[in-house]
Amino acid sequence: MVADFEVEFIERDDRNARFLVRGASPAFANGIRRAMIADVPTFSIDTVRFVENSSVMFDEMIGLRLGLVPLTTPLDDFEVGETVTLALDVEGPGTAYSGDIETSDDLVEPADDNIPIIELKEQQRIELEADAVLDTGREHAKHQGGVAVGYRHLQRVEVVGDAGEFDEGEPNILRGVIETEDGELVATDEFDHDLAERYPGKELAVHDVPGAFVFHVETDGSFSVEELVTRAAESIGARAAELETKVAV
Amino acid sequence: MMIPVRCFTCGKVIGEHWEEYQARLDDGEDPAEVLDDLGVTRHCCRRMFVSHKDLVDVVSPYQ
Repeated sequence: MVADFEVEFIERDDRNARFLVRGASPAFANGIRRAMIADVPTFSIDTVRFVENSSVMFDEMIGLRLGLVPLTTPLDDFEVGETVTLALDVEGPGTAYSGDIETSDDLVEPADDNIPIIELKEQQRIELEADAVLDTGREHAKHQGGVAVGYRHLQRVEVVGDAGEFDEGEPNILRGVIETEDGELVATDEFDHDLAERYPGKELAVHDVPGAFVFHVETDGSFSVEELVTRAAESIGARAAELETKVAV
Repeated sequence: MMIPVRCFTCGKVIGEHWEEYQARLDDGEDPAEVLDDLGVTRHCCRRMFVSHKDLVDVVSPYQ
């Protein structure tokens, strides 16, 4: 089975994208989704050494918050298991933000600068050193690069006739992306997810297009959507190649 | 105590929007409109804001 996938972007942003893949099987679409969630590694703080913590939160609670802060991850420069040291030193009154985290390697820094870590009052201080480790979502959810990654079938909407003259104008809600009879791709939020709004007074037939999946991919800021999707595809390819060599006689 | 860094359900980073959300609510804006504007569209992420209460000021005198 050698065939090219046809990929078409519907929405494209650095951290958020929607694209249509044609010619994929349901199993492969789900494989890609799972690889994006579990197999693409990201940096995340894993070990914290507290020098001083006189804030209102326990060390463990702050450790948990630090672990969830997304860190930029240049996957070309690091291997799984490598660590980068980070440090935070803030004195109250004021709030310690993720942007206050100092890094020993400029390639790995907080992806967002204004996540509040802990609010400090007068006389309160936090000083800590932390190790971020590169690992996969399979190991811990904080290493997941993709956020709410999913897909839907592409749905084809056809006008089959006019609605009866005395039919009530009921809403016909559909979410995702539709393909019109002219082959045009339309995201349903353009017409408020209501087919009755786009095709008033028409009778419609809606059915799934076989082998066409609309992926919605959002990243936490560790890397771009393109990076996440290509790395996920590569990881499936690498595993298929590994299987091929292992079963070879 | 502090707004969670990420949404419990989907994992989207939401902590960064809390202060703006709070400030705009104090200005009398509609919470639903503020959340739409901040790009917090899923209802799992929206409940993180709607149901959150900052408690740092409440517990800090007892340190």
